[in-house]
Amino acid sequence: MKRLLAIVIDLLLGAAVGALLASVIVPALLDAGETSDFTAGLYASALGAAVFALAGIAAKASIGGVSLGIDAPEGRSIRIVSHLGWLTLAVFIVGGWIITAISPIEFFSGDGLAGAGRIFQALVTPEFDIIGEALSAMVVTIFTAFMATVIAVPISFVLSFPAARNVMSDTPLTKSIYVVLRIVLNIMRSMEPIIWAIVFSVWVGIGPFAGMLALVVHTVASLTKQYSEQIEDVNSGPIEAISATGASRIQVLWFAIVPQCVIPFLSFTIYRWDINVRMATIIGFVGGGGIGTLLTQYQGLAKYNEVGTLVILITAVVWILDVMSARVREALR
Amino acid sequence: MMQPLLSVRNLTLTYPNGYQALKGISFDVMPGEFLVIIGLSGSGKSTLLRCLNRLLEPTSGSVTFSNHDITHIQGEALREHRARIGMIFQHFNLIPRHSVLKNVLYGALGTTPTLNAMLGRFSDDAMQRAQKALQVVGIPEKADIRADSLSGGQQQRVAIARALMQEPQLLLADEPVASLDPSTSHSVMSYLERINKEMNTTVICNLHFLSLVRQYATRVIALKGGEMVFEGTPQEITDEWFRTIYGDDAVEVEIR
Repeated sequence: MKRLLAIVIDLLLGAAVGALLASVIVPALLDAGETSDFTAGLYASALGAAVFALAGIAAKASIGGVSLGIDAPEGRSIRIVSHLGWLTLAVFIVGGWIITAISPIEFFSGDGLAGAGRIFQALVTPEFDIIGEALSAMVVTIFTAFMATVIAVPISFVLSFPAARNVMSDTPLTKSIYVVLRIVLNIMRSMEPIIWAIVFSVWVGIGPFAGMLALVVHTVASLTKQYSEQIEDVNSGPIEAISATGASRIQVLWFAIVPQCVIPFLSFTIYRWDINVRMATIIGFVGGGGIGTLLTQYQGLAKYNEVGTLVILITAVVWILDVMSARVREALR
Repeated sequence: MMQPLLSVRNLTLTYPNGYQALKGISFDVMPGEFLVIIGLSGSGKSTLLRCLNRLLEPTSGSVTFSNHDITHIQGEALREHRARIGMIFQHFNLIPRHSVLKNVLYGALGTTPTLNAMLGRFSDDAMQRAQKALQVVGIPEKADIRADSLSGGQQQRVAIARALMQEPQLLLADEPVASLDPSTSHSVMSYLERINKEMNTTVICNLHFLSLVRQYATRVIALKGGEMVFEGTPQEITDEWFRTIYGDDAVEVEIR
């Protein structure tokens, strides 16, 4: 299994090095501009992959094998691995520099610096005329996060039991429910809330409702994982003791597991609300309502004094919530 | 002739990882006995106890309790069987943040409808029996205190009260004094002895210390590597038997 993964790593690295060389670095050196030859890149990446895989198999110099700790090359193989490694790093840095269009000239140009000065000045001289509008947008954001948390908590609570290994280890059926649920939750969590916000803004229309739904999905996925890990961590003694009284399965969950989890669950939940306020702001950029939406509007109009007001407000609220939630979580321990 | 309360025949248990914890154990327990099981850690004592109230399911052999074969029962029958047998543990296994009284009431979970119990609705009869059980173990004044604020000995007494709530025909005790100091150990053991003698509850108890065995047991069985190597009265455990059970280097320590 690890050997297979090592070969995949070799192939991917080789292909990446080949493609970067042929499609990014060489055209840039030749000053060919945007027109890079796709077919050439394809051949080059195939060649690169072949070279790296061959080095791994024939010369026992597999970068994947070394990085996974299953190969310990000797003599000539060490040199080949280290040459290939340095080559890869160098190609990645040079290729990355070109791809991200890094340009010190623009960073320090007169026009650029003047623009930076203007926007920083605007940001630190906020326009407080919009404070009423800003505050009501902030309230929307805070309650988007709050409602998302409130709705997600009972769903996560119920899901966390079938998502806990120790609860589901009895029969093959329960085990497979556990595995499927874990996979679904992992996929849900891998999709960023901003993508869910785009989905829901089409579904229910732009606004706080879409933002809240996006946060619910992400919060359910995250809280269920945290809750279920806590359940897997409980002391099994009380479970045995409650089972021994003839209690039903539900009673064992309720009387032996839940009491051991209540405090950590509360702590996770408060922290999640805190995170959701930040996420609700970002989600506002793509139509989730609240202060994020207001910010994109003023930014679009290049009204940077107003943007400054919003930035200050967001920073203050996030900071205050952060401190408060940390204090409460500390006290819960 | 009196019927045994419990009959164990050729009992084996192999864990999913292949470890054979019990290798063919057979014995009977008569009503009213105070049976003590001795043996080294890992000899199979705890596994054997858990086969009797079916926290574990034996691999083969049979367990008969009050003339019912309970070796492989499931569902409602299993719950009813467990409810008839009380159990206490080395680490007490109380619910830490809950009050002493609630912990005792949890002994009635097997006979309380699930939803009522979850809403905290226990019958008046259960409430009275819980108060009485706390009186039996001598801590009625602790009813409203959090269970985890009690000392070890007191926690074990709450655990005994929880087991008494079940009005058990059989009380299982898995190393009940192994995490207690010597004087507390005797106090806990004497409660078990009183329950055995005054309420006529059969007791099966795993113990480490032979001095406690000699004082409280009416009969002893010894396990070694999952097999039964001794059965008899406490007086019959000679130095030779002692070395057979605990190994040649073992020295008996006294607990007073």
